[in-house]
Amino acid sequence: MGSSIAQKRLFHEYKNLSTNPPEGITAGPVSEDDMFYWEALIQGPEGTPFEGGIFAAELKFSKDYPLSPPTMKFVGGGVWHPNVYPNGTVCISILHPPGDDPNHYEHASERWSPIQSVEKILISVMSMLAEPNDESPANVEAAKMWRERRAEYEQKVRDEVRKGLGL
Amino acid sequence: MDSFDVPDSTDWLQTPLSLLAPLESSLRCQVCKDFFENPVITSCSHTFCSLCIRRCLSAEGKCPVCRSSDQELKLRRNWAVQEFVETFQNARQSVLDLARKEAARLKDGDSVIREPSPKKRKVDRVDVREEATVVQASPRRARTRSQRTKTDAPNSEPVEQETIEVIEDSQDEGEEEYVPDDGMVACPICQRRMKAHAVFSHLDICQGVKAAPPPPSRPSAYRYVFGIGLSLGIEANQVLIVEHSSLQPQPNRLQSSPGKALERLPAMNYSLLKDNLLRKKLRDLGIPDSGPKPLLQRRHTEWMNLWNSNCDSRIPKTKRALLQELEIWERTQGGHAAAPSPFTTNNAVMRKDFDAAGWSASHDTDFKRLIANARIKSDTQVRSTIPGASGKSTAESIGSTTPIAPVEAPLDNSIPVESNRNIEPRGSFDPSG
Repeated sequence: MGSSIAQKRLFHEYKNLSTNPPEGITAGPVSEDDMFYWEALIQGPEGTPFEGGIFAAELKFSKDYPLSPPTMKFVGGGVWHPNVYPNGTVCISILHPPGDDPNHYEHASERWSPIQSVEKILISVMSMLAEPNDESPANVEAAKMWRERRAEYEQKVRDEVRKGLGL
Repeated sequence: MDSFDVPDSTDWLQTPLSLLAPLESSLRCQVCKDFFENPVITSCSHTFCSLCIRRCLSAEGKCPVCRSSDQELKLRRNWAVQEFVETFQNARQSVLDLARKEAARLKDGDSVIREPSPKKRKVDRVDVREEATVVQASPRRARTRSQRTKTDAPNSEPVEQETIEVIEDSQDEGEEEYVPDDGMVACPICQRRMKAHAVFSHLDICQGVKAAPPPPSRPSAYRYVFGIGLSLGIEANQVLIVEHSSLQPQPNRLQSSPGKALERLPAMNYSLLKDNLLRKKLRDLGIPDSGPKPLLQRRHTEWMNLWNSNCDSRIPKTKRALLQELEIWERTQGGHAAAPSPFTTNNAVMRKDFDAAGWSASHDTDFKRLIANARIKSDTQVRSTIPGASGKSTAESIGSTTPIAPVEAPLDNSIPVESNRNIEPRGSFDPSG
């Protein structure tokens, strides 16, 4: 007996996500033995160059979750986006603890708080795919392309999506 | 692991009572997603479990909802919410069972009768009214009871009627079930009923912590009285749960066991304390004093949060129970959680589930390789010391598998032993598991 607060809370979130999943989002622990390691699938939002794509990401939770946010990383590559590092790590304000704001551009209200959840993270990431925030580019090249050569950016995203689907 | 079947607000979504889902989530703490346990309200008027908000505040000093700064000292208990939660929990299972039955029935009925839309509207209306009745609980009991006697044969009633009556009925029964008028009270841990004065001494020995399945339920009349007794005594920041014996003799007998008054622990300024002094403080509190200073600080903070939130409880746990919780913390986040070995990360918590056979199967090839390597090595040593004896044995042990087999078997057995060696010292701390 005796699972930690973090585990219990993750059980709750898992159950909630599996009985009442938001559209276009699936998420759960990879193995039921380890609640601290999840995989998520996100559909590319409609009306964006990401449309039609399915993006897999891994979420890693710390033992003091929900006090600290999880980290999220797209796996399998191919997310060409200003707010996604080339290695797949997602850089978005909801994943940043409220205490540190090295960049001084985020409102505290946008950042992680224990009342946020996996569901909210994934929804934020979906809307991030639709609307990049180029104030804080994690992928400078992609941000530049998005700002200056939008058509080329969208074409590249579409190509990546198609590649990701094995077409 | 069947712990995935946690009761959750989404349980209602598949039933005609889907409007109870938001009601239930509003009775759950936004931090731990569980029902409020010892709910307290912040200066910014947000309610959380006492322990959850204390942990948040000691980590960050801000309300998780609105992010305004707050202090532990300003937290106040929220009895009304506690009452809601407890009455709702009492009624939950029976209402849910009924709602599920009704959902199944409606499904069958729909396929026969074939007029889904008007029926659905009816059901929706029922939902709203039921939500209202469930929340209002006790004040209207007299009324609901009379209604119940009026329509006591549910199955012959028309759909709409039946749902309403049955739900109120179940709520009533729930109440009766949890508050037998026998002058006894239930142990908050194992739910066994006993005389009020016996509870405290029983609590000291009760081991049924959380393992006991029945839903959390304390007799509500007793609870209520107790709440009043307590709320009178809230004094800024040193609430002692005792003090007003004249008002409520019964519950008080339960608490006023000599020397057991719960005094809140003050926060400490760790930076002013040298390691040794801090260590001594921890020893004085009766909690483990090992580890480097940052760990001592975190442990003390956790203990302070556990302890102070327990002071917010109407029926406080024993120190031993709190020590067990600290031990769980120690295993998951404290000193024992640090080492990144496959044995300590998860299996420290779930060591009973440790799959020794699976582990040795999946690492079989590794073991074989290691054994082979060891043999080659020892053989070369033998060869170098006894030049004449070596050539033959080397060829044998590498060339064929037979000599390896006998070594393999004992090695498989030794795997769990090793895991135990890693984990046992922790396990010994936890009497329950």
